[in-house]
Amino acid sequence: MDLILANHSSYPRIGDSADLQLLRRTIAQRDRGEKSEADVRAAEDRLTEHALREQNDAGLEVVTDGQIRWYDPISHLAGKLEGVRINGLLRFFDTNFYFRQPVVHARPQRTKPLLVEDFAFAKAHSARPVKVVLTGPYTLARHSLESNGGAGGFEKLLAAYTGALGEEIDALAKAGATLIQVEEPTVLRRPEDFHYVERCMTRLALSKGAAKLALSVYFADPSPMYDQLQTLPVDILGLDFTYNPELVDVVASRGSNRTLALGLVDGRNTRLEDAATLARQLERIARGLSGAQVYLTPSCGLEYLPRDRAQSKLQHLSLLKKTFLGSRG
Amino acid sequence: MSRKKLQQLGISLPVLPTTSVGSFPKPDFLVAARAEFAKKKITREELGKTERRATEFWIRQQEELGVDVLVDGEMYRGDMVAYFAEHLEGFQVGGLVRSYGNRYYHKPIISGEVRWKGPITVDWWKYAQSLTPKPVKGMLTGPYTVMDWSFVESYPDRRAACLALAQEIRKEVEALIKAGAKIIQIDEPATSVRPEELSTAIEAMHVVTDGLPAYFITHICYGAFENIYPGMLDLPVDNFDLEMSNSGLDMLALFKKHRYTKDISFGVVDVHTHVIEEKPVVVERLRQALDVIPQDAIWVDPDCGLKTRTVNEAIAKMRVCVEAAQALRDRQAEKAGR
Repeated sequence: MDLILANHSSYPRIGDSADLQLLRRTIAQRDRGEKSEADVRAAEDRLTEHALREQNDAGLEVVTDGQIRWYDPISHLAGKLEGVRINGLLRFFDTNFYFRQPVVHARPQRTKPLLVEDFAFAKAHSARPVKVVLTGPYTLARHSLESNGGAGGFEKLLAAYTGALGEEIDALAKAGATLIQVEEPTVLRRPEDFHYVERCMTRLALSKGAAKLALSVYFADPSPMYDQLQTLPVDILGLDFTYNPELVDVVASRGSNRTLALGLVDGRNTRLEDAATLARQLERIARGLSGAQVYLTPSCGLEYLPRDRAQSKLQHLSLLKKTFLGSRG
Repeated sequence: MSRKKLQQLGISLPVLPTTSVGSFPKPDFLVAARAEFAKKKITREELGKTERRATEFWIRQQEELGVDVLVDGEMYRGDMVAYFAEHLEGFQVGGLVRSYGNRYYHKPIISGEVRWKGPITVDWWKYAQSLTPKPVKGMLTGPYTVMDWSFVESYPDRRAACLALAQEIRKEVEALIKAGAKIIQIDEPATSVRPEELSTAIEAMHVVTDGLPAYFITHICYGAFENIYPGMLDLPVDNFDLEMSNSGLDMLALFKKHRYTKDISFGVVDVHTHVIEEKPVVVERLRQALDVIPQDAIWVDPDCGLKTRTVNEAIAKMRVCVEAAQALRDRQAEKAGR
């Protein structure tokens, strides 16, 4: 089995040293009128380079841009669409992280590229393949508010977000993205909405071109909808293993007809898991899989951790791979 | 209704007593002193003196406004969880993590066995109480929130960490009671975040408060309250201090469906806006509360801590709380006199 080490999505955009605090400093200076938007962009570039370098140094084979430029997983994309205003803060799931809620006053439309430029920068500065990550249309829609008629109701809002992200995925694939990850954590909390995600992913799959399309679900136990997730038209399915230890047995017993991205390493807590225990879980999963490839990732984005711990988690992925391969002789 | 309990504790309060949630903005002289301290230009003792001066400032402000149950304003705290993490054994200061946008904080790590080393807030409570004859609330962060807002490394799971913290926080509550505190607020803003863990929060609050002679308040905010109501009524406290105005009083609809059975510190002003509510707006919010909750059970306060507002905004927000409560008391006195 080919084990590929990959980052999940986000990475800390701050650290303890002065150079790792450049972005925070520059944004504060911009807010006081002392720096320009171009200065902020340059600081984002520097922190993106740091993130790419640290992922590379940790031995990852697939990296992300760390979503260094993202204000949060919701408003960063929604706020770039016409018809959407950004409002006050709300808690993001059960984290201590807050996002700004999009308020939709007209049908959301993509009038400019959302992530293409960021992808081009990351690709140009990385020795490893760069995975592009987008929050999915269903999760965006469930975190948005419609005002003055908005998009005309939830289904129309969902269709509009799906259309906009489909255009973006098409543009990303044309710009050379080989792996595009769509994130739909909300569906795990609302399993009755699975049909919406099915509809979105079917539409988005039409836009992927030569790229591989991944779906990632996290922040809850995916085992109750594991069989449904297996029916989606995606190449890779990313799962969070930290909410239910029995998910290992679910996957081991049912196998998978999709390449899996295994979120065995907890991206929400600083504690480092015992590598031998994780390797045994991986061994059990591997016995149930016939596929040639498996991705090893953190369970979610690493922005919820301090930088030193985020680095440790990535290094832990390498250790897990070594331990697993060592146990197989 | 726990007015009887208050009387047993020797506390007599007017109808619709006014209070605040806990934090007030730090006056400029304290902000400056904290910056000096961070640069190591003044000593811890010098900073402490300035914190005491700021505490006195807020006690005087509350007295002048006519607030009934006072707070020390938390001039000595940076963050409501980090402060306790710094004073309990078993914690490590974690690196920076993002809270939102360009805001970051040091999220504590529970890396050992948590242990109460000695009084944390007692001297501050004693000092604040020495400045006023009015009751001053003892103020703590509860075990569930300290656990939820920390990384848990040294306990097998979240529940174990939470219950261990509860045992230690109870010691602080006992120390406050021993010092003379009769009203103690145990803030649990994280309670509503994981409804599946409400039973853990309740179990922990039992550990903290059971059998202790004080009137207990808990503050909960940022809520998906619909997910934990009415189950949250099982938290063993006398009074829920709730963010009501920020959500358009929509919790009142829940209270109509399932009777609200405790005292409430009813948030009548939104702390997330610079706009100072007009008195008639606040009176109307209180009037709506009175339609659903017995008058004797209602206390009046802002939605949440006021530390994110300016000093003048915080004073103006408190003033409108007091004036609205007084307007309703006057209205009732008028009716009674007719």
